[in-house]
Amino acid sequence: MNAPSNMLEQIQSDALESLAAASDESVIQEIQTHFLGRKGVLTHFLRNISDLPKEVRPEAGKSANVLKKKLETAFHNALSDIQTAKQDQEPGIDITLPGRPVSCGAFHPLTLMNQEICDVFKQLGFEIVEGPEVELDYYNFEALNIPKDHPARDMQDTFYISDNVVLRTHTSPLQIRTMEKRKPPVRIIAPGKVYRCDSDITHTPMFQQIEGLLVDKNIHFGHLKGILTTFVHHIFDEQTLLRFRPSFFPFTEPSAEVDIQCVMCRGDGCRVCSQTGWLEILGAGMVHPAVFENVHYDTDQYTGFAFGMGIERIAMLKYGIDDLRKFYDNDIRFLNQF
Amino acid sequence: MKVSKSWLSEYVSIQSDTDHLADALTMAGLEIESVSDPYAHLKNVLVGKIRSIAPHPKADRLQCCRVDIGDKTISVVCGAKNIFEGALIACALPGTHLPNGLILKKTSIRDELSEGMICSETELGIGNAHEGILILDNSHTPGTLLNETLNLNDAVMEIGLTPNRPDCACMIGVAREIAAIESGTLKYPAITLNESGPDCSTMTSVTIENPDHCPRYAARVMLNVQVAPSPFWLQQRLSAVGLRPINNVVDITNFVMMETGQPLHAFDYDLLDEHRIVVRTARQDEKFTTLDKKERTMESDMLFICDGKKPVAVAGVMGGLNSEIHDGTQRVLLESAYFQPTSVRKTSKRLGLNTDASYRFERGIDPEGVIFAINRAAQLMNEICGATVCKGIVDVYPHTIPSVHIDVSVKKTHQLIGITPDQEQIESLLKSIEFTVNPIDEDLIRVNVPSFRVDVKRPQDIMEEVARLVGYNEIPSVSPGSAACVERPSRHLFYRQYIKQSMIGFGFFETINYSFISSDSADRLKLTSDDPRCHPVALLNPISEDQAVMRTSLVPGMLETIRRNLNQKNVNLKLFESGKIFLNHSNAPLPQEREGIVGIWTGTSQIENWQQTETACNFYDLKGVVEALMHRLYIKKLTFCKPEQADPYFRKGSVAWMMVKQNKVGILGEIHSDVLGAYQIKQPVYLFEINYEALYPMIPEKLSARPLPRYPSTTRDMTLILDKAVQAKEILDVMKSCNEKLVSDIQIFSVYEGNPISEGKKSMSFRITFRSWEETLKDEKINQIHTDIAKTVIKTFHADLP
Repeated sequence: MNAPSNMLEQIQSDALESLAAASDESVIQEIQTHFLGRKGVLTHFLRNISDLPKEVRPEAGKSANVLKKKLETAFHNALSDIQTAKQDQEPGIDITLPGRPVSCGAFHPLTLMNQEICDVFKQLGFEIVEGPEVELDYYNFEALNIPKDHPARDMQDTFYISDNVVLRTHTSPLQIRTMEKRKPPVRIIAPGKVYRCDSDITHTPMFQQIEGLLVDKNIHFGHLKGILTTFVHHIFDEQTLLRFRPSFFPFTEPSAEVDIQCVMCRGDGCRVCSQTGWLEILGAGMVHPAVFENVHYDTDQYTGFAFGMGIERIAMLKYGIDDLRKFYDNDIRFLNQF
Repeated sequence: MKVSKSWLSEYVSIQSDTDHLADALTMAGLEIESVSDPYAHLKNVLVGKIRSIAPHPKADRLQCCRVDIGDKTISVVCGAKNIFEGALIACALPGTHLPNGLILKKTSIRDELSEGMICSETELGIGNAHEGILILDNSHTPGTLLNETLNLNDAVMEIGLTPNRPDCACMIGVAREIAAIESGTLKYPAITLNESGPDCSTMTSVTIENPDHCPRYAARVMLNVQVAPSPFWLQQRLSAVGLRPINNVVDITNFVMMETGQPLHAFDYDLLDEHRIVVRTARQDEKFTTLDKKERTMESDMLFICDGKKPVAVAGVMGGLNSEIHDGTQRVLLESAYFQPTSVRKTSKRLGLNTDASYRFERGIDPEGVIFAINRAAQLMNEICGATVCKGIVDVYPHTIPSVHIDVSVKKTHQLIGITPDQEQIESLLKSIEFTVNPIDEDLIRVNVPSFRVDVKRPQDIMEEVARLVGYNEIPSVSPGSAACVERPSRHLFYRQYIKQSMIGFGFFETINYSFISSDSADRLKLTSDDPRCHPVALLNPISEDQAVMRTSLVPGMLETIRRNLNQKNVNLKLFESGKIFLNHSNAPLPQEREGIVGIWTGTSQIENWQQTETACNFYDLKGVVEALMHRLYIKKLTFCKPEQADPYFRKGSVAWMMVKQNKVGILGEIHSDVLGAYQIKQPVYLFEINYEALYPMIPEKLSARPLPRYPSTTRDMTLILDKAVQAKEILDVMKSCNEKLVSDIQIFSVYEGNPISEGKKSMSFRITFRSWEETLKDEKINQIHTDIAKTVIKTFHADLP
C-alpha cells in the first residue's frame, strides 16, 4: 500500500488535472462530486483514516483537510470563472432606456447674467448695494443734477406715483443713498429693477440695470477706462475692442458712452449692430461735482467715476436672444435653456 | 436731428468722405445714428429729351412720347399737359422707387408700350411743383443722371443730439465741430443788408411785461413782401433735413433756424392790432388757437406774444392762426427772441406741444445770436421775397445774460482726464471751438465761454471739452490703485441667493414677473377691502390697465405666468419668484417694499416613465419642498397650522400657515377654484409664499455640528385605527412625549381609509425609531416603550389596533 502522503498527492494531481481539462460547468460539478462528494475519493480517504497506522494518522488527517480546502477553493474559482465568463457574454441591460426623470430647475437668465457681472466686480473689490424701487424724485433726479423742467428728463420716460415719487428710472439713486451714509472711499455696484414708461419690441417697461460707483483720491478718466475694459474682457473676451465716445449724462462730467466691438460679426457689420460694427452697452463718466456737493463730499479732495449698464442687453448678446420680451414671458421652454 | 452734408459744406470745407465724417462726429460726441442719401431713389432717373409726341389712339388724355435718353430712345405714355417736343424732362426708368411708394415697371397703358415715366418734381420728391412735369433748362444733356446734373448729391446724417448740446441743433454748430475736427475754418454767411424802408421803430414797438420769461425780444419789419413758393434750392435744403416747404417767408424762418439755431417767427404785420408786440403771461384758462388749428387752454404762467389787443403766439412754442402768413401777406413782422428755457419747457410739456422752436428754446439758444439770425432772415426776405427791409431793429433786452468765464487749473485737468496736454495745447484745442483762453499763471487759465455754449458752466465742463477734442480713445486705460473696501456681505443678499439656489435644487425654475399688475388683481384674489393689499400704489401714467398699480402680492404675476404657460401647453410647472411687493405706507413718503418668495407646483408630481406611472401633484408635494427649504436654512421648529383667517385665494381646508416658534413666516395651500377661474387656469395649483422679513430672524446665525450617534437604532412599526378627524401631528406629539429621550424619529408610512376600515375611521401606520445616546438598547426595553406608546395613544385618541 502506498504511503498516505503519496495517496493525497495522487488525489491532488488527479483532481487538478481533470479540473484543468474541464471547461463546462456540469463537468466541473461532476469532478467535484468525484473527489469531494459524499462518496468522493477524498471523502473516502478521510473516512478511512482510522485504518491508518496510529503514528501517521494525525499527519494524514491534517494534510487531507488542507487538500480538501484547496480543492474546494479551486472548484469554486473554476465555477465562478465560468459564470463570470458567461455573464460577460450576456447582452446586458438596455442602457439606452431613459433614466428615471429628475426635475432640475434653473436660474432665470437675467439672474445668471446679473451674477456673472456682479462676480467680476466683486473680484475688482466692489460691494453690492440695493435700494428702493419706488424712489423719491430727489434721489432719482434732483440729487443727480437733473432738476425739474430740465430737458435731460426727456432722456428717461418716467412712471410717476406722485409729484415727488417715481419708479426709479435707473439704479443711480444708490450713488446718492450710499454716499449720504458713507465717507469715501466708496466702491459699490447697485444691481436692480428699473422702470421706464416705454413698451415696444426693444423696450420693456421694467428692466434691470447695474450701476457702479468708485470714489477716492486721484481717480481719473483713465481708471474708468481701465475698470470697464477689464469688465468687458471678463464678460466677453480679451479680444473684444472697446471705444469710449463723448456723451451726456447730467450726473457725470466728462461723460462717455461705451461701445464694444460687435460680438456677432466681430466688427464687420451685421443686423445686430445695425452695420456699424459697434454695440453700445454702457454709459459712464466722472462723477459731476454737483453730485458730490449734494452729498457733501469735498470736490477738491475726491474724484470718482460712475457707470451703468442694462443687463438684458448684455444677456441678449451673450445668449443670442433676439426678443427682449422673452425675459418676462417666463415660458418654461425658454427658462429651461439656461 | 438731421443735417445735410451739402448744406454743411457752405460753412466749412469738408475733407473726409461721409463714412469718416460720421465716425469722427460720433467720436466727438455727436452720435451719427444713421446716414441716408435723400436722392437714392433717383439712381434710375435720367434726363430725357422728348423727340416726338403723338396722341394715344385709345385715350384722349394721354399722349405717346418718344424720349431720347442718351444711348437709346424709348416709348413713354404721358398724361401731362405741359410737355412739348424738344422738352428736356426727367425720365424714370423701370426699377425706380418713387417716394409715393410706386415701383416703376415696363408696362403697356391701353395697349401702348410705356418704358418709363416722365415725372413731376413732386413725383420725384425733389420739389412741390406738381402741376405738370418737371421741365429742365437747356443746360442739361439727355442721358445724364438727373441727380448728377441737378447736383442732387447729398448725405443726410441723423444726429442723436444729447440735451446739453443745443449749439449743435443747427448747421453752423455742426460745421463748427467739423472745422475743429478737421482743423478747418468755419465760414459764417456774409450778411449785407439793404435797409431801404422807414425806420423800424416808427413801424412797431415791443413791450416785455415779464422779462423773467423773456430776457430779449427783437423785431424787424419788412414791407412789399411777395409771398410765393420758395426757390428750388431753398425747398431742397429744407426737405433734406425733414422740413416741409410752405412758402418763401415761412421757409426762410425755418431755413435760418436750421442754419443758426435761432427759431424765428413771422407775423402778418397787418393782422397785428396796433402793429405792436406785447410779451406777457397768459390769464388762467385763456383760450388760444395755434397754427395747427387746435384750441389751447393756457395757464397763468405760460407766456404769450400779443399785439396791442390779443395774443398772437405761444412764446417759443407756436404761432397763432390769427396772424399767420398767407398768400396775400404784404408786410411782415419778424420775431427773433430769447425765451427762458424752463418757461418754454413747462409750456410745451403742459400743452403737449413739441416743436422745432420749443426744442431749441428749452435747451437754451445763443442769446447773442438773436440779431445775427434776424438780419440773416431779413437779407433772405429781401433777396427772395423782394421785401423792403425797414431800417434798424427794435431790440428789447432788459436783462443782459452775462457771458461766462471759468478759471481752470491745468493740473486738475490732468488729474481728472488722465492725460497731460500742456497749457498751449489746451489753449489751441479750446480755440478750435471758439473758446478764448487767457493764461493767469503757470497753472491757471481763464476761459471765456462763447455764448452759444450754454452747457459749459464749470471747470469740469472745460476739462470734458479738452478730453473729447483730444479723443477719449487717446486716454490710456489704467487700473485704479485704491484699496478695495471689503465689507461683510449682507445676510439678506446671502440668504436670498441661498433660497433661490435651494429652490432650483428642488427642481423649480426662477421666473421674473413685472412689478406692476392690473388694478383689479386684488379683486381677482378675492381680497376684501380691509386688506392692505387692496390699496396698491398706483401709477399716475401707466402704460396699460394691466400694468396700472405696483404689486401688493407676488401671486397675480405668478398666476399670469401659469396661464401663459398653460396656453402654450406647458402643463407641468414648478416655478418660483423672489421679489418685492409694495405696500402703501400712510406716514412715509415712500411705500414699504417687502421681499419674499412665491413658489408654485401644478401638473404632475411624477412624470410618466417606463418605470413609473404619472401622478398628479398635491398639497404634500409642495409641503415637502417647503420642509426641505426650511431644512436647508437650518430651521428646525417648523410647524404647519390651520390658519385663523387664511388668505381668501386659497381653497378652504387646504391651506396652512408655516409657523416657526409662534411666528408666521408663510402660507401654503391650494389656490381657490374661483381665483383659478379668474386667470383661466383649469388645473389645480399649489402655492406657497414666504416673507423674508419674517423668515430671516428664524434662521440661526451660527451653525454648530452635532456628533453622530455611537449606538445603533432600532425600529418598530405600529398600525392604529383612528377617527378620521385626528390629525397626524397630534398623534406624533403624543408618541414623542411618551419618551422624548429615546424616540428619535417617527415616520408615517401609510394612511388608509375605506374597506375594511369602517366609516369615519382611518388606519395609520407609524415606524418609530428608538435610539439612545448612552447605550445599545435591549429588545425588552424597546418593547416596553413601544407598548407604553401604544397604550397611551389608544387611550388618548380612542384608537384601536387593527
